Amino acid sequence: MTMTLAPARPGAAAGRATFAALAVRETRRFALNPVFLAAAGLTAYTLWIGQRSTVTEIDGANTIAAVFFGGFGMLVAFWLTRSMRASEPVAGVTPTTLPARTAALCATAIVPFGCGCLTLLAFLHFHPISDPVYGAFSLPARIAVLVGQIVVPSLGGPLLGVALGRWVRFPGAPFVLFLILSGWVNLVMALTLARPDSAPVAVLRLFAPFALFTLHSDAGVTAWRGSPWFFLGWQLALCVIAVLVALLRGAEGRLRSRIIRALGIVLAAAVIMLLLAGTGGFTHAVTT
Amino acid sequence: MPGPVLRAGAWPAIAGVTGVAAVVGGCGAAFPAAATMLFPICFALLAAAAAFTLDEPASLVVDVTPTGLARRTGIRAVALLAPLTAGALVMLAAALRGLALPWAAAGLALAGNVLLGFAAACVLRTRTGEPGAAAGTAVVLVLMAPSLVPQVARWVRTFPAPGAGGPSSDPVWWIVLTVCVVAIAISISGRGLPRWMSVIP
Repeated sequence: MTMTLAPARPGAAAGRATFAALAVRETRRFALNPVFLAAAGLTAYTLWIGQRSTVTEIDGANTIAAVFFGGFGMLVAFWLTRSMRASEPVAGVTPTTLPARTAALCATAIVPFGCGCLTLLAFLHFHPISDPVYGAFSLPARIAVLVGQIVVPSLGGPLLGVALGRWVRFPGAPFVLFLILSGWVNLVMALTLARPDSAPVAVLRLFAPFALFTLHSDAGVTAWRGSPWFFLGWQLALCVIAVLVALLRGAEGRLRSRIIRALGIVLAAAVIMLLLAGTGGFTHAVTT
Repeated sequence: MPGPVLRAGAWPAIAGVTGVAAVVGGCGAAFPAAATMLFPICFALLAAAAAFTLDEPASLVVDVTPTGLARRTGIRAVALLAPLTAGALVMLAAALRGLALPWAAAGLALAGNVLLGFAAACVLRTRTGEPGAAAGTAVVLVLMAPSLVPQVARWVRTFPAPGAGGPSSDPVWWIVLTVCVVAIAISISGRGLPRWMSVIP
């Protein structure tokens, strides 16, 4: 009995090679961008300077990676994406499609994601997970909180930047969005302070790519309601949505319909995750 | 002449960013607990709006017309009324809601923010026709630094907090206003910038 193996399509292998070459080139451009280098340096400096004094709260320190790798990463990814706009008449007629180039740009998010992972390890070194500054959360939930505040925003910010760069022409879009998100996080925190036990307010607080789960005051550490695990699911769904929305630009035929179908599924999953995040976890704010 | 120069301005960008700033500031007035965080964001957005006032897509043509840079900049400066008016309305709304802010210092901060955005645009306009995005990004990052990096807030404050300790924002804004006026005067006088400023990112 003989068995024959069907040869791989030469087009697929060539496509993978092109994608890998593009991804490496874009990743190098991302990693060498002065704004990203400044973000990495500022994160390291802020973490180092923050642990020199006695640590009584982490509400400021755990936002650093989200701001620098997520926010600044979004700016850099937006610029990288738009930088090819002027040469689109030339690049547009090459065999590499726009979705393939977009996928290569999305691959650059591996750099801030890796930096976010390193930041998490450094954070855990400076602020051990057993510290009382994490509030009433269990040890696994504390890890979930930190991953949601440090690692996932570092991944999601650049992906959002690529999606913005593909769809929005306004060159100031990333910093406007960055400020809107900052304002929203502060606004819903103020609402949470006014109504700490409300489930709708908890859903509103978590309706963001970044959320605080604790508040430090003279009374102690207050752990807000909401499930850190489902919030992680919501954040990852947002990352997938950003990638799909970015890939949608320039997609045609079967690829376009598959992306739209996947987008519908992920949107539904994101809504479910958000509702579970808002209604799960503690049923009221717990101060320890 | 003022009509065509004004008509060619980046009005959608100025109006859009000013509108977003007004919404953020309005939320600050509506929710006093978040006002001290939302007002600096609102003012940073107004500074970014001011940075778009000098954008000129047809700069290759416009720059060689007989109308000088100083006159064109002066005409375009009229557009600063949009962010200034929006900021003033936000402060008025906050005052009507009974917010206890140091209003003179807040007004100085508003003027400083808007002038900083305009000065950054003036400096970059000598090198590029559309300085708005680069100037806006730079100004926003500088203005938000005290909020983003806790260590900076110990030394510099860009928005007057009610009744709090720490440094006052007034000296910062007086210095910024002075530097901005000098920078604008130099950039519209037609003198070249130092060599190290010859590349726009």
